[in-house]
Parts: sequence; C-alpha cells; structure tokens
Amino acid sequence: MTEKLKEIIESLIFISVEPLTLEKMKEVLPDDPEQDIVRAVQDLAAGYAAGGGAIHIVQTAGGYVFSTKPDFDPYVRRLLQIERKSKLSHQALETLSAIAYHQPVTLPEISTIRGCDSTYALHSLLEKKLIKIVGRKEAPGRPLLYRTTDKFLVYFGLNSLEDLPKEDELKKLMEEENA
Amino acid sequence: MDAEESYQVRLEVFEGPLDLLLFLIKKKKIDIRDIPIALITREYLDYLNHKDRINLDREAEFLLMAALLIYIKSQMLLPREQVLEPEEDPRRELADRLMDYQTIKAAVQVLREKEDEQLQVWKRSALTAPLPDGDLDLIEVSLYDLAESFFTLMKRRQEENLKVIKGKEVSMAEKMNEIVSVLKERHYLDFLEYLDDQETLEEALIAFFCLLELIKARLVTAIQEQLFHTIKVWLRKEAHVKVTHD
Repeated sequence: MTEKLKEIIESLIFISVEPLTLEKMKEVLPDDPEQDIVRAVQDLAAGYAAGGGAIHIVQTAGGYVFSTKPDFDPYVRRLLQIERKSKLSHQALETLSAIAYHQPVTLPEISTIRGCDSTYALHSLLEKKLIKIVGRKEAPGRPLLYRTTDKFLVYFGLNSLEDLPKEDELKKLMEEENA
Repeated sequence: MDAEESYQVRLEVFEGPLDLLLFLIKKKKIDIRDIPIALITREYLDYLNHKDRINLDREAEFLLMAALLIYIKSQMLLPREQVLEPEEDPRRELADRLMDYQTIKAAVQVLREKEDEQLQVWKRSALTAPLPDGDLDLIEVSLYDLAESFFTLMKRRQEENLKVIKGKEVSMAEKMNEIVSVLKERHYLDFLEYLDDQETLEEALIAFFCLLELIKARLVTAIQEQLFHTIKVWLRKEAHVKVTHD
C-alpha cells in the first residue's frame, strides 16, 4: 500500500512545476490519512537521497520538487544554452535581507536600516518578484508594506522563513569573524 | 603607489554611511557600544575628504551622518549635573542602528552562500519562465492594473455621459449577483467590455466596485493574458459552490 502511495506521490512531484505542497497532495489523495502521505514523501525523499542518483527531492517554499545535483550544473546549462545564472547585486541582496528580517516593512524603514536610499533596489526586487506589496502601514503617509514571496524561498532554497538563521545566530557569526 | 594611496578605497564600494562607519570601527577595533566619537568623526571626515570625485546624490547621505556624529559629540560635551544613565547615552541610537545593520550584513553573507548553492541546482520551475510569443501567458493582475484599465475606460466615456439625464438606481448587491450570474453562464468576462456595456457612468462605477469586492472575497480572479492586453475576470473554481449556496 505504502509503495503504491509513494509511487503516486513520486509522479505528482515529477509533473509539478511549482513545489508540491502537502495540501495539494491531500486534495489529490483525499482517502489517505495525512500521516501516511507525510511518511510516504519522507520515505521517497530519503530514498532519492540514499540512492546516489543525479536527481533528488528537495523541500522548498513548503513543497517538494525534484532538483538536479550541483555536479551537473555545467551540463544542464549547456543544454539550456545559459552561460551563467545572474546573481543579485550586493545592493539588492542587502535590501532583501533587510526586508526578510524586518517584514512587513516600508521603504523608509528599509532605507533607515541600510543607512541609504533603497528605492532602486526595492523596485528591482519587486520586478524579480522576490518581494511583494502586502498593504499599507497605518502611519503618516500610509507607506506601502513589503514582504518576501515564495519565490524568495525557492530562490535561496529555503523551506520557510524559519530556515533563515536567527538574529542571535547571525550575531555569533559576526563575532567569529571579528575575532 | 605609497602606503597612503594604497589604503584608499573608493567610497562607491560602501553601500552607505553606516557601511563606511562599520568599516572604520572594525579597522580601529572599536566596541560599537562605546564608540570614541571624536576619533571616529575625524576618521570619517578624513575619508570623505580623500575621495576624488563627488557624487552629490550619495554625498548627502554621507554628510548627514557626519552631521549626526558631530551632534552626538556636542551632546556628550554638554556639562551635566548627574552622570548619564546608559540608556541616555547620546551614542545609543547610533550604536543600535549599527548593530542592526551588522546583522543585516551577516544575513547578506548567509544568503549569498545559499544563492551560490542554489545557482548550481536546477528545478523544473526554472525552465518555465519564458514562453514563446503568442502563447497564453496568464498573469494575475494587481489592483493597479485594474485601476489603470478603469481609468482608460472612464476617459473614453467622459463625453457620452453628458447625455444621460437620470440614471437608474443600482445597488451593489444587485450588481454583484448580476456579475456572478454572467460569469456562471459565460465563464469569464472581459473587464473593459463589461464596464463599457454599462448604461451610465454611475453603473460602471458600481460594477467596478463590485468586481473589486468579488476579487477581495476571492470569489473571482482577474487575469491578463498578456501584458497590455485586456483583463479577464474568471469565477474561481473553489468559489462555484459558495456562490450557488448564497
């Protein structure tokens, strides 16, 4: 029974372009108890991890997707004719960090945290859909509030915002560096 | 190149005044909680004087910080009757900001590492981004797109509306029911066309508000097939049941 379930889930993940969430699996498999599904996914992912193949299942943005291993990056890029994936600029990444750790947050707040104007970086992040507008702050001028998106999680391979290092972990990291 | 010159770093490499301050603090091995303001101000101003070209836009931010440093120093020089409590230290706010900024910088490093890792692995979602021309590319539209379309329409109807003497009264509830029944029949409606079909400006306005309400209630969804194309409104699948019961 579980083997069958594993195979069903495997095909669902295979065909999904966006990370396949547990909710979606439950929709497709209304008769299977949730813990069975969870166990099947975990078994499946563990099987791929132990199997030593080129593909594995990763959990990102709250769902599961197939992903290639880093070793094959050059070949995949050759196939897709992509020279190099572009990285975020330092400015954009710093702005994104400020948003990730202070969300929901307004543009003036981001600029204060970074000590410099962040309008340009903010707009490029919006265009890349790494952040989104979630409303307005009830403050003078009713400035827009921003949050990171699911695409942000996928981009950095995070499952949820909980996966980001906590602020005290970051402080420890800095102390090590300063020492 | 002498030592003085080789030490010079261009101001452009700093994200902003906080970044520069942190750099100086690190260089002098200073404790952020106990910054010798006079020393750091001197270093900071030295730094500003040394750079060759001036970029006025960014300069303002750096000068503002210089002014703040000097202000803090002046606060510290004021004679006081009592010794200041730690939380009254004029340097405190700046120290807090620097600490915050430092955490963000650490987060940048972590994220950069993760980005490097992720750039080497491929998922199928990465492949679906560019669609060939002509294909249906559904974009769920934002409020701004809707509003923009609406204003285009309003402009188009500006003159004709003068002919209307008395519009009939339409309530939001009636209009909403009408929209839902049209949607159930035709599956989707063209946002602009539908508003254009309304008899009066007032009715069009009400229809627009109704659509916003329905979108907000997640009963319908607004989708643009391609950038700059018309916006279509669909009944959400999961909404079907709910609407029928209402």
